[in-house]
Parts: sequence; C-alpha cells; structure tokens
Amino acid sequence: MSYRIAKNLDSALEALKEKDPATRIVAGATDLFLQEMPARLVDVSSIEELTAIEEIDNRLVIGAAATHARAAASELIKGRAAALVEACLQVGSPQVRNIGTLGGNVVNAAPAADAAVALVALGAKAVLVDSSGVWREEAVARLYSSYNCSALDGCTELLVRFLIEPCGQGEGSAFRRFAARKALALPLANAAARLKLENGMIASLSLVAAPVGPAPTRLIGTEAAILGKPAGEETWLLAAETAAEEVEVRGSLLRCSAAYRRHLVGILTADALRAAARRAAVSQSGSLT
Amino acid sequence: MPTGIVESPVKIDPRVAFQSPEVWAKVTGKAIYGGDLMLPGMLYGRILRSPHPHARIKKIDIKQASGLAGVRAVLTGSSIVQKPYGIVIDDELPLAEAVVRYIGDEVAAVAAVSYEQAAEAARLIRVEYEELPAVFDPAEALKKGAPQLHAKFPGNIAWERHLERGNCDQAFREADIVVENTFTVPPIHSTYLEPTVCLAVSDPYNGLILHTAVQSPDQVRTIVARVLDLPLSKVRVIGPVMGGGFGGRVYGNLKLYIIASLLAIRTGRPIKMQLTREEEFLVGRPLIGAELKLRMAVRSDGTILAREADIITDNGAYSAQAPWVSKTLSERNDSVYQFKAIKTKVRLVYTNKVPTGQYRAYGNQAANFATESLLDMAAAKLGFDPLEIRLKNCVRAGDVTVHGLQLKSCALADCLKAAAAEIGWHNRKEGRGYGISAAIHSSGSVVFDKNFRGAAALARLELDGRVSIFSGEQDYGQGAHATFTLIAARALGIPAELITIHTRDTLASPFSIGALGMRQTTIGGNAIRLAAEQLREKIVQTAADMVNEPVIFEGGSVKSASGQVIELPAIAFRYYSLTSGLTLVGEGKYVPAESAYDKSGYGNIAVTYSFAAHAAEVEVDKLTGEIIVHRIVAAHDSGRIINHLAALGQVYGGVTQGLGMSCFEGYLFEGGRVANASLADYRIPTSLDVPAIVPLFIEQDDPEGPYGAKGLGEIVQIPVLGAIANAIADTAGVRVTDLPITAEKVFLALSGWECEA
Repeated sequence: MSYRIAKNLDSALEALKEKDPATRIVAGATDLFLQEMPARLVDVSSIEELTAIEEIDNRLVIGAAATHARAAASELIKGRAAALVEACLQVGSPQVRNIGTLGGNVVNAAPAADAAVALVALGAKAVLVDSSGVWREEAVARLYSSYNCSALDGCTELLVRFLIEPCGQGEGSAFRRFAARKALALPLANAAARLKLENGMIASLSLVAAPVGPAPTRLIGTEAAILGKPAGEETWLLAAETAAEEVEVRGSLLRCSAAYRRHLVGILTADALRAAARRAAVSQSGSLT
Repeated sequence: MPTGIVESPVKIDPRVAFQSPEVWAKVTGKAIYGGDLMLPGMLYGRILRSPHPHARIKKIDIKQASGLAGVRAVLTGSSIVQKPYGIVIDDELPLAEAVVRYIGDEVAAVAAVSYEQAAEAARLIRVEYEELPAVFDPAEALKKGAPQLHAKFPGNIAWERHLERGNCDQAFREADIVVENTFTVPPIHSTYLEPTVCLAVSDPYNGLILHTAVQSPDQVRTIVARVLDLPLSKVRVIGPVMGGGFGGRVYGNLKLYIIASLLAIRTGRPIKMQLTREEEFLVGRPLIGAELKLRMAVRSDGTILAREADIITDNGAYSAQAPWVSKTLSERNDSVYQFKAIKTKVRLVYTNKVPTGQYRAYGNQAANFATESLLDMAAAKLGFDPLEIRLKNCVRAGDVTVHGLQLKSCALADCLKAAAAEIGWHNRKEGRGYGISAAIHSSGSVVFDKNFRGAAALARLELDGRVSIFSGEQDYGQGAHATFTLIAARALGIPAELITIHTRDTLASPFSIGALGMRQTTIGGNAIRLAAEQLREKIVQTAADMVNEPVIFEGGSVKSASGQVIELPAIAFRYYSLTSGLTLVGEGKYVPAESAYDKSGYGNIAVTYSFAAHAAEVEVDKLTGEIIVHRIVAAHDSGRIINHLAALGQVYGGVTQGLGMSCFEGYLFEGGRVANASLADYRIPTSLDVPAIVPLFIEQDDPEGPYGAKGLGEIVQIPVLGAIANAIADTAGVRVTDLPITAEKVFLALSGWECEA
C-alpha cells in the first residue's frame, strides 16, 4: 500500500493521471476503514485550495477538504448558510468531525449524510477537476449514481470545492435530524430547508430529506404545495403531511420501520421549515443569524 | 470524579475514598492489557466459524490451508481429543465435530506466524456442509416437530424449573384485582471495551500458562485442565489488566482459551488469539433473552398477594451460565415485596443462535423491568400512588422472604423514600414523567458450590515493612483493589500506600470462585480483613518476642511498654532470619454460615442482601416518541460504604448500563444471523445520552459484611429499568413491554399504528 500526501492540486491530479482503479483520493479517511483498503491512497487534506472557507464575489466557497468541525465553527457559514453549520455539528462524533471532510461526506455517497443533505438544500454546486485539467460544475444532488455509489469517478476526478449562494435578506436555512442516540448514529431521517420570505409569504424554497432515495432528495411535491403560502403553523403542518405522503422510504431492522421513517420525514421537514422561516424573518429585520 | 453532567449530594469522606494507583496506569496508557503482550516466536491463532445456523459437517479439507506459508498448525474437531464441557451443562466441544448449531460455531483453528496469514489460512479451509432446518424462536423450538439441537435434550429444553411457594391459586382467588402482561427482553452484550484476548504458553515441564484477563481465573484454570486432561499443577492463569468485564467475563471466553491452549500444545509456540469486535457479538455469550408472562394478584387495599410467572429464556446453541441466570431471573426479584405465594415455570430453550450467558445482575434486570412495570399497572388500576404501593409491600429488616431469604439488614423503605424525595416525587415538573422501582440482590452469593461458600486470603509482611495481600478475587475496573486496600489498611492500622493487592495469578493467590454474585467486598473483603487481622497479631507477637516486653501496634508502628519503637522492616527481618527465609503471613479464611436452603432452593442463599430504589424523571416528545431521560436518582442500601470513590463509580457506570438496556441496546437477529454485530449498530448510550445521575447511600451497618459493608456492583443496574419504564408510561400514557423502549415503539404505541416488520 502506498500513501501519498499531495501538497498541491497539481500533484494530486498527477497521481490521477494513470487512471488506476486502485488509486483513491482521501482526506479525513474516516469511512475508509470500513471498506476494503485500496492499494494507493492520495491524501488531499493539506492542499490549501481544498481547505479554504471564504466568500468570493458574493459566493460562499468551501474547500472540499474543509473538516466538519471547521465548517461548524465558521462564522461566515453560520451567517449565510446556517443549515450547513447545523448539519456539520451533528456528524459522527468530535473525533470524526475533526478529520472528516465535507467533500468526503458527499463522495462517500451515503444517502443520508448530514452535511450533504444541507448542501443540497442550500443549492450547493460542486466544482470538480479531472486529471487532464478540465474543470466542471455540478449540482451536489447530481453526484450520486446509486445507493452508496458516487457519480464521481474517483480515479480520474477530484472534488475541489463547493459554491453556495449565501442566504440574503429575507432568506433562511435550517437542518434537522433524528437518530437513535445523540452521537455516532446514522440518522433515521434528516431534512433541510432553505426559503425566502416576501411579505410573510414563501417566495422560494428548497426542501430536502433523506434517506428517501440514493441521494439527498428534493421534496418537489411539498415545495409546490407550500410555495406562496404564508409562513406559519398551518403551512408547516401541511408540509409535514405532504412530505410524509410524498416520500418513498424503506424500513430496516437496524434503523426503523418505513412507516415511522415516513412520519419522521414529515416532522423534520416541518421543524426545518419553521427554523428556516425564523431565520428568514430575523434577517429581514436586519440582523443576520 | 466525573463532573458536569453528573451531580451527587454524596459528600466524599476522604477517610473512605481511595484511588488505586492502577487507575493512573490506565488513564496514562501505561497499564498492560492482554493485547499488549508479545513473546518471541509467538504465533497468531484464528478460528474458522460456521456460516450456517444449523448444519452437518460432511467434510473438512485443510490441505490448502496447511500448505500456506507461515502456517504452523490447523486443528479440526477430528484431529484433537475432544471432551464435552460446559459451565453448568456439558453441551459444548472445543471444536464442532459433526454438527454446527449457530452462525459462529467454531469449526477449525489455525496458528500462523502472522495474524494475516492465520486469517488467510482459515479462509482456505474448505468445509462441506449439509444444511439442517434451524429454529430461532424459543416458542417455535418448544413445538412438536421443531428442529432438535442436542440429542440429550429432547424438546430443546436445556433446563427447566417448576416452583410453587405458598398457595398461589388461593391467593389469586382472594385477590380483588389481577394484572397480567407479557414482557420481552433481548439478549444483551456486556460491551466491555477490550475484546477478549489470550496468550497461551505451553512447555512440557511447566505446563500451560494462560495469560488472560478474566473474572474467575481459578475456575477457568479448573475447566481448562479438565477439558485438556492436564494436571492442575500444570495449568496457571495470569491476568493482565482487564478492560471491563461487567459479569460478561466471569469465564472469559472458554472456547478461545481451550483452542489457544490446544494450538500452543500442538506447536510448542506461544499462541496469541483475540476476538474481533464482531466475534465478541457473535460468540461473546450475552445475557439471555427472555419472555416473561406475568400475573399478579393484589387486594384493593394495595396488598400484593401473589405472582405467577411463565418464563421462557433463550439459551442459544449452548448453555454457559444460562441455567443459573434463568434461575435468578425467575426468582430473585420475588423477594423485593412480601409476596404470600409464588408460582413459577421457567424453561431454558435451545435455539440456533448465539450461546448466551451472564451480564452484571444475572437477569435480575429483566425481572425488575417486568415486575415493576406490572406493579405500576396494578397501582394504576387501584388508584394507588406507585410509591405508596411499594412502601406498603416492600420487605424490611428481619423479614424472611417468600423464597426464604433472611434479611439481616434492609433499608429498602428508606431507599424508596430517599429516591422519591430527591427526584421530586411530590413536587413534579410540568410535562415530565416520574417512575420508581425497587430491587434486591444477593450480596455474597453462596450457592455456586455448596461446599465452597467463602473465600481465603493471605497478608504477607514484606522485608521492607510493606504488606502484600494475595486474594483470588478480581479487580476488573470496579475498584476491588482499592476497596481491599482500605479494608487491609484498616485491619492493620497502616497507611493504604503501604499495601499492594495481588489477585491475578492462580499460582500465587488462594483459590477463589471469582468476581461474581456480588461476593468481592462481602466475602473476599472479609477474608482480607481476617488475613490482615491475623498478620497484625503475628507482628505484635514477633515484636514482643524481640524486645521481651509487651508491645502495642498503633499508628503504623510498634511500641514497647518501655517506649522502644520497633519498625516493621525490623520485625519482618527478625522472622525471616529466625525461619531462614519465611515471611510473616496472616491467613484469612472467611466461611459463611452453612446455607439453610433446601432442595427447592428455599432458604438463605447469600451472606447478606443489598437493596436499592431508583427514581427516574423523563420527558417524551409525543410527536416522535423521543425519550429524554433527565435524571436518575439511585438510592442504595449497600451497608456501610467502604470506598466512596469506587461506590460512586459503580453507580454512574451501572445506571448508564441500565439506561442502555432500557432504551438502547439489544441483539437484533435476521434469522440466525446477528444483524447488529458492531458498536455502530449495537448502540450503547454515548456520554451525551447519559442523564444526571444522583447517587444516594443509605448507610447502615450490616452484621455480616466487612465493617458493615454489602455489595453494590450488580444491583446498581437493576432498578434503572423499572424506573425508566414506569416514568415513560407515566408521561406517555402508554406502556412499552418489550425492551429496548425506543422512540419508535413509544410513537407506535401512542399512535396506535400497526408496527411493520
């Protein structure tokens, strides 16, 4: 087994040139030990470009190798994409959050990875580069091919950063999860919301829940049902009902029954909406939270 | 002492608070555990396990495995001399010979120069199986025509007991109300942090040395010698530091020890074997799962009359201690209240699943969950306060219980009152649920062997004036060494720092039954007290002979009538010189009074009994069923507390494990396969899930225990279950009767939905 620490993007891409299926990009590597160990590992966690968290041209730019702990502690993200902070705070345990990265959370392709769910709700775009130096942007939701399978070809392509349009005035986001214990447990369900309020009405929104399919899944039906409605209890209850009806869920012996998961998706969706709307209202009144 | 999430009104008395130096070795990473042990030329052992829950072995081909580079031995059932063995029932073989009975059953073993090569060789063993019909549900296993596991046990019943005390039918006729329900408890693993590991060393002259951390090294030694047909003088067990046992490691993993020993004997090389975490779950002998059908007869004035029980315990494929555990599970809890009559039917049933055993309180936890839940149902039906019905019926000092236990000391009523007062029973917070539960447990059980009820210990004055204590009792993190140190220091009148406790070598220490049945402090502690007292007498005697005048031993030194000070090293040397090499040794033999229990088990079965009442304050989110346990008050009558530090630790840990059993843990099976054989999926509570725990000690002297002390280690877990279950039912208005009580189960009960599989 070889383990290379790439110092910069070029050297990481160099390692991908051979298109060797036994080569694997790692950053936190927290999920690696649960799988068969690849022969060649390329560690990208110390590449500056991949770890920066900044705001450029009114866009949040978050390096793919930024750890959950850093993202959770970032004032920049807190003020502009609160759902991501909430999600990052609930990943694994302090140890996992200290080394696990946002990019890994997405590329590992677990259907209900907390940070990924928040990223999709926030409308995050992933910026990728392949070994021949070709760059592309892709919606995070499109980086999943099937259950626990990323659409990203890890032997030829590298996830570099995420781009998020920050929540502006009248906008808010939030993330909620439900698990069998308070840490180190996969969620039975999670949900994230981003919405914009105009005159107390929902002017735009994005709702995501998981595990509902292979990828964090937009709740299109629920979004349509409450768009244009007033931000209030009646709407949140309608969202809970619609979301629970809309989703395709599976039950499992290790987590919970499908019926309970469906119910939880509804509850969490309403909770996330409620919190996002509160943030939107506060931001409208002037102060960012 | 933990701070922050836990709070304690217990004032730590520095005179009764001692931390063993071993604690520092552990937290600084310097303690030596089994996994740290290495010897030159050491080989690694691996076991090939059955992938089938029930199958006939048609053929085993070891050719490829034996030929692999680095492989030094491959053993199968037919290549070794096999002798059936067991702890209670001899229903196991070191390696399966004709039939495998569960997924994980040991089929072959390999020794190789590296762990990887051993694992690879195990993979290369080809086994041809003929699959047999399997049975996983004990109720199914009892049916006619069910697949049979052991020819010697037709009907799959490994052990059963039918017991009646008093006239149960008449009591039910006299009852004003009868409550009944069925409660289920899954198998529970002790989840000690350190997976079981052993290093077996064999040489033709010295015999076999087994390095392994186990709660009862002497019993392991006896069983291994018997199974391998070795003279007892040629088997020695030495324990490294143990990373937790919780009753799940009384015998460690006997099969691992036997296989490692066989490989060591075959190869003449040291053999190291360690279970993976997955193997711990597959073969680690969890506490038996149980189904308890209970009926309780109560009079309208709140008097509890009788209890009828039909209990099925799920043995898995082999027995370990399951018969004893089934007995305690079906019986001990009856002595919490003044029952007039009892009728119990308990059947231990073989199934094609993981073999089971014991965890912390011998199944008394499960009985507490069931009985205390049922008692609250009775109280609700009668409009009685749960606290009042318990105070009305609980046993008191001087009582003889329905099973004949003689309670020489008992502060259970005070425990109930203290727990209720501290939790705010009569001063409740809005939106919170409150539950209370009571427990009894043997402190110093004497029933394991009628002819071996007590313990012995040696106290040796070293030439430098320090004292070494030799005892067969075990410290596996519960603080026994610290407690023994305090007892010896008190008996000798010397500082604790001068005392070292040695317990982990069967060659050096007197035989002991081991750390089980809450016998460490009560029985083992008494032996150490007696040994130290005798050493003290011998010191005084020797010093008096030295100066030829009367002496007193006070404040750690010996003074003569004329004012001479005789230092301990001088006394030690004097005896050593006089005897040309012997040291002053005090022998302590604590032999409890002969037990009066009869054939039916009626009578006194322990030196004394410990009591506890726990109260819980919880909140339930009705939208999701989520359970938030806010506080648990643990009021204990463990007599006079010897070491407050250790006692607090026991309460914090035991309550946490009780919470785990109540709301988090339990084996999940898919057919015969353990579906959650990892710490990711077998969810024990994390530190964030643990509520505020408030320990209270109702301290009264017990006439039997050393310096008035009684045991605490097992009982701490028992009442948690009933308290939490009752608190959840109190606020949710619905009752979950199968453990663990999860958010989903509470929600389904609240919503009245049918549960999907």
